[in-house]
Amino acid sequence: MRRAVFIAAGLALAGTAQAAQKLGEVQAQRSPEQVYAAVCGYCHGKNVGPVIRGRALPASAVEYIVRHGQNAMPAFRPTEVTPAELKALAAWVEKSSADPKEHGQ
Amino acid sequence: MTANIDRRSLLGGAAAGAAAVGLGTGAKAKAVLAPGVRKRDFAGAVAAMRKVVGDEWVFADPEAVSPWKKSYTPDPYGKHVPVGAVCPESVEQVQAIVKIANQFRQPIWPVSTGKNMGYGMTTTAAPGQMILDLKRMNRIISVDPELCTALVEPGVTYRQLKDYLVENNLPLWIDVPTVGPIASPVGNTLDRGVGYTPYGEHFMVQCGMEVVLADGEILRTGMGSTKNPSAWQAFKWGYGPYLDGLFTQSNFGVVTKMGMWLMPQPPVYKPFVVRHKKMEDVARIVEAMRPLRIANIVPNVVLMMGAAYQLAMFKRRDEVWTGAEPITDEAVAKAAQANNLGMWNTYIALYGTEGMIAESEKIIRAAFAAIDGEVLTQEDVGDNPWFHHHATLMQGGLNLDEIGLARWRGDGGGLAWFAPVAPAKGSETQGQVELAKQILGKHGFDYTAAFAIGSRELHHIIALLYDKSDPAEEKRADDCYRELVTGFGERGWASYRTGVHAMDLVAEQFGTVNRAFNAKLKDALDPNHILAPGKSGIL
Repeated sequence: MRRAVFIAAGLALAGTAQAAQKLGEVQAQRSPEQVYAAVCGYCHGKNVGPVIRGRALPASAVEYIVRHGQNAMPAFRPTEVTPAELKALAAWVEKSSADPKEHGQ
Repeated sequence: MTANIDRRSLLGGAAAGAAAVGLGTGAKAKAVLAPGVRKRDFAGAVAAMRKVVGDEWVFADPEAVSPWKKSYTPDPYGKHVPVGAVCPESVEQVQAIVKIANQFRQPIWPVSTGKNMGYGMTTTAAPGQMILDLKRMNRIISVDPELCTALVEPGVTYRQLKDYLVENNLPLWIDVPTVGPIASPVGNTLDRGVGYTPYGEHFMVQCGMEVVLADGEILRTGMGSTKNPSAWQAFKWGYGPYLDGLFTQSNFGVVTKMGMWLMPQPPVYKPFVVRHKKMEDVARIVEAMRPLRIANIVPNVVLMMGAAYQLAMFKRRDEVWTGAEPITDEAVAKAAQANNLGMWNTYIALYGTEGMIAESEKIIRAAFAAIDGEVLTQEDVGDNPWFHHHATLMQGGLNLDEIGLARWRGDGGGLAWFAPVAPAKGSETQGQVELAKQILGKHGFDYTAAFAIGSRELHHIIALLYDKSDPAEEKRADDCYRELVTGFGERGWASYRTGVHAMDLVAEQFGTVNRAFNAKLKDALDPNHILAPGKSGIL
């Protein structure tokens, strides 16, 4: 019947290359791609927030906006996206190419 | 250490001034110290906490605290701004911080992941508190694939838990609230939040806690305090008075571990939407749904989404309505029709074998055919984005589509959930819809709402959407919310939960004896009142 529904959802998740977290250990530092998939990409490029990839947004602005939450965007604390993760993420967003699958407003 | 704070403050202030121009971050309000706490007490607490968690995990100047100040709930008078943040990575550090808080009488406000958008994020009910930010404590301690249970720390997000299950090929589901990816099972359960699978009532499927008490002692609830506990995540009640409820929507301890039950992945999952065309149909829908929920023929927590709420997820207000006055039912109906939505869109799902689902589907189709409901499946609706969103939620899937709500009225991002509870009877709906429209309309806001049925109760979930970048609108939203609480309260419809901006007012709806009882517990368990004063109206 609707078996296809949850199989599709499982594939979508598997495609995001998560860092494997071991039992009893805190989450290890994530790559920019992993942070984008686990946090940013749920809104940016999904019609909730504006597209941010492929726009050469300055890394310093990305860092500031993540920590302060521009307009309707939440702020993300250093406990959620660590300082090292944010630095790498901001540089990655600045240099990123646009993803044609993304859409936003 | 005090000199260190001042230097950081100067540096931070300069950076903020340069960078904040025109960004609408909203972090403008100034924090004040808690009543009775002097500057030197605060500085002493900060210095001592730095020794516990390291300099880099204590935040005590206005710019450094900015990420904890962002909020969607109204705060026109700046009463809910935290004064600092401390971020432990272990239960031992939490114990040490609690002792420091007692020593300096510095109140601390625990948060798990702090993403309860529309309920206050990491802002506080009473002023002058440091946020005890538990996000770094994000260990998945155990998962038992046979019993279908997990034990997690507060900083574990639903996304982390889901990733663990997927990567380890464990056929177990999670159940998420609408902000699942970035929110936590511990935080949501402790606030008695809900999701939309058969495990949607989160506190019902919670099992065992570890709690750091205000004196620094560690309490394990249920079977967790026995020698070599074997059934901590299997048996909820333990022995003697059941304690877990004391640590939900309260400030009697800091929960540092929580057990939860996970739903085994069913062989087949089938989501449905039932569409109705008229606002007044909601009474009939509730009457049809109640027996199906009580008999568990519909096994999941059911949402009946109003068209305006659905539109606000993916549309901006000026695409649908350009008037300053609240949007009319006629305009909502027109936009709903254009987007293949009903005025009410009821989302339910079936789980099990194909045979089980086929039997239940027959009963459900008959119940809704009798009240002119249009029962639709995935095949019927195609790529309808609203169906996709709810079909994702009802299988514990992750997305943040609903957050588009925060942009309905402009970019400022104002959202406050008002969620009164009534019995699940059709006769309870019309009066509530009328009262909500009357109060919202008086203050110039739209009726963007849904109803949910857990079992025998009806939650009315009203999204008060406003533009927080407009100070006058923020003040109106605050006034409107308070009138909703008191207006509904007088009719016997009190909230199941609220944001930091209205905790005292909602507590008032539950009467003086209830409040005095909670106050006695607070005095006994936290005599210095250092844990989250103001939470649920408990000082």
